Amino acid sequence: MANLLWLQGGACSGNTMSFLNAEQPSVCDLVTDFGITILWHPSLGLELGDNLRNLLGSLTRGDVALDILVFEGTVIQAPDGTGTWNRFAGRPMKDWVTDLAKVASYVVAIGDCATWGGIPATAPNPTQSTGLQFLKKNHGGFLGAAYRSRAGMPVINVPGCPAHPDWITQILVAVATGRAGDLSLDDLQRPRTFFSSFTQTGCTRNMHFAYKVSATEFGQRKGCLYYDLGCRGPMTHSPCNRILWNRQSSKTRAGMPCLGCTEPEFPFHDLAPGTVFKTQTVRGVPSELPAGIDKPGYIRLTAAAKATSPSWAEEDIFVV
Amino acid sequence: MGTVQTLDISPVGRVEGDLDVRVDIQDGRVVDAWTQAQLFRGFEVILRDKDPQAGLIMTPRACGICGASHLTCAAWALDTAWQTTVPRNAILARNLGQIVETMQSQPRHHYGLFMIDYTNKNYRASRFYDEAVRRWAPFTGKHYEIGIAISGKPVEIYALFGGQWPHSSYMVPGGVMCAPTLTDVTRATGILEYVRRTWLEPVWLGCSLERYEEIRSHADFLAWLDEKPEHASSDLGLFWRMSADIGLDRYGAGPRRYLSWGYLPHEDRYQRPTIDGRAAAVIMRGGVFDAETGAYSAVDQAHTREDMWHAWYDEPDVAHPFDRTTRPAAATPTDFAGKYSWSTAVAHERAGRLETGPLARQLIASGAGEPWQHRDPLVLDMYRALGGPSVMLRHFARMHEAVRLYREAERILRQFQLNDVWYLKPTELDGRGWGATEAVRGALCHWVEIQGGKIKNYQIVAPTTWNVGPRTRDGVRGPMEQALIGTPIADPNDPVEVGHVCRSYDSCLVCTVHAYDARTGVQLAAFRTA
Repeated sequence: MANLLWLQGGACSGNTMSFLNAEQPSVCDLVTDFGITILWHPSLGLELGDNLRNLLGSLTRGDVALDILVFEGTVIQAPDGTGTWNRFAGRPMKDWVTDLAKVASYVVAIGDCATWGGIPATAPNPTQSTGLQFLKKNHGGFLGAAYRSRAGMPVINVPGCPAHPDWITQILVAVATGRAGDLSLDDLQRPRTFFSSFTQTGCTRNMHFAYKVSATEFGQRKGCLYYDLGCRGPMTHSPCNRILWNRQSSKTRAGMPCLGCTEPEFPFHDLAPGTVFKTQTVRGVPSELPAGIDKPGYIRLTAAAKATSPSWAEEDIFVV
Repeated sequence: MGTVQTLDISPVGRVEGDLDVRVDIQDGRVVDAWTQAQLFRGFEVILRDKDPQAGLIMTPRACGICGASHLTCAAWALDTAWQTTVPRNAILARNLGQIVETMQSQPRHHYGLFMIDYTNKNYRASRFYDEAVRRWAPFTGKHYEIGIAISGKPVEIYALFGGQWPHSSYMVPGGVMCAPTLTDVTRATGILEYVRRTWLEPVWLGCSLERYEEIRSHADFLAWLDEKPEHASSDLGLFWRMSADIGLDRYGAGPRRYLSWGYLPHEDRYQRPTIDGRAAAVIMRGGVFDAETGAYSAVDQAHTREDMWHAWYDEPDVAHPFDRTTRPAAATPTDFAGKYSWSTAVAHERAGRLETGPLARQLIASGAGEPWQHRDPLVLDMYRALGGPSVMLRHFARMHEAVRLYREAERILRQFQLNDVWYLKPTELDGRGWGATEAVRGALCHWVEIQGGKIKNYQIVAPTTWNVGPRTRDGVRGPMEQALIGTPIADPNDPVEVGHVCRSYDSCLVCTVHAYDARTGVQLAAFRTA
């Protein structure tokens, strides 16, 4: 049994929509099979009206246990730190977050907005948005670097724009079934089980990466998207090609460059002119190299790749 | 004259985003209403001075439910600005993405947001109540579970073409990023077939698509309802019968004038996209339609006006989106005589406030178009037979559209030419662009102006802007404000009827209703409707 409250700040509901795509367990399974009581969610369940305010009051007073607080969206602080640009149930949402974070056993930030600030916090960040415990790469965020939930945990960050439904449900099931102690978080407070491997891990274009065969423009079945089209798969931590999206595919498999959306800098370069879907280079060498590789190493690697490239490398292997 | 009570519903849940509704109640009916969008994220501000293609990444994230619609608008806006050529396959792939996203949203809205209200205790006296609870109760209702489960399936097709749903950016000026293979298309066909076999026919309709498609008039529909118990007890049949039983055919009318930008550019007619050429190229015709007089006129983006008199912006009172500057007001006190919403009041320069959504699309579909365009007389015939629009008719139009869109998805999968191109690399240019579509909940468009290789101005007018905007300067209510007038309230402490009206618009804002005693100013209730 676990009580769960899900609130949205500066959000698009994309993580909720992603969550609803889950199977094994589905959202209904979480309720019926795992005993998770969804106290309230902005898009699900019966309206509560005044009952909602009463519920929020009983949670902040501690009359009802808040086992899991899930937050989706940024904490909006505009204008001038008042937070009135995002009012909820009669007061700024940020004030609810302050009060509820004090009583929650676990706080889970779902999606980039809640983890790092995401799209709304992109310069010039007109809504003074922040994530719960980070603002982009900076530790602190809305709750402060020292924040710990009642169970002694920092905010559990499940980033992604959106987060994959399995990343969400598995964390909720782990907490609800008493396995929260097994959660191991990285420096950015992401569960290591999902965010230690790379987006590239399992990508169907890996052989093209290895032999430096580039997809030079969109609509090509073969070729790696890293060399020309700005793909961040080799330096982004996510299981997107291990745990497929919608049970079918991934962006890189379908020909879309990884945007690096599980990392705090997303959207990279603040979407400055010239940076979208184009690999940034210095004298022909990508300015951002695959994780752990230095520039001389990269030059040696790609020279060797080209030199040893097999005869089929430039052929289309994904054919009609 | 009876006491006027005011109901503030905050937040109205089960819509997407944040919407507050205030209603004044007198003699058991709503006599006045105000809709307030309560969330500002400033996407237009962020997009200023960014890469011309930034909208492809940012705008799908304006709405997690309608991301494909935003992406479509962003891509077509750049196509018109950059004067691209878009290959036939790419037009089909964009349309398919939009349709499967809509097929996700239909059951999610129906089961997750709309039908839950039919299990409200106020309807205990209805002879359909026990079945409604068994079927539609949240999380545990038999069809709630089926509906939520099936809603994730159509977007598996989106993942095959776009990599993931939500929030792919696979549509780009000049085409799409993907180049699907035969197995992608056959798998997509299999998923579509699964949706039909497990839900659309047995649960939603209670009959084959072919039988349902024979219905062309209100009389046909009633005959279909009586023909077999499977029809009457399908989700559509039970929706219809219970809606009439609890009076949802008698309120929630709205402005009776409608807008659609038109939907789904034909793959052979919009390969050289221009702002002016779009209207003649869409499979589902757009336009402005006055359902009372039957008057139809074509629509042009140049007619769009945003009125900011009652919206929290420090800008001129009225502007075309190309002339907007998006300057949010620092102080945002709620003042119903002054400013009270983050939504602007959007209007047609001549036709005024217009309702948008499936009802608008289906009413417009009644008129004559080209032979290759969608034509369907049913919803207008029902409109006339039932004496006008209502909560029931608005939701019926949404349910009805599921069949039409399913058929278009089937057609697209047959039309792909797998060895042809999917993308033609364009040249980046400065200029103005406009992209439009119909999201499931109505008319959506983006305006972009690119200058010096970066975005000078980016503006979005969403269906919810049309439907839930505040009053204009001359005091004309927004469509939802107008639709709420006359709503009967059985229990001011649980005004589920307000919820029906708000949710029938499928607004993309989490909606909060505030109910007040209008004479004493005492708040009676607050609840979420979507």
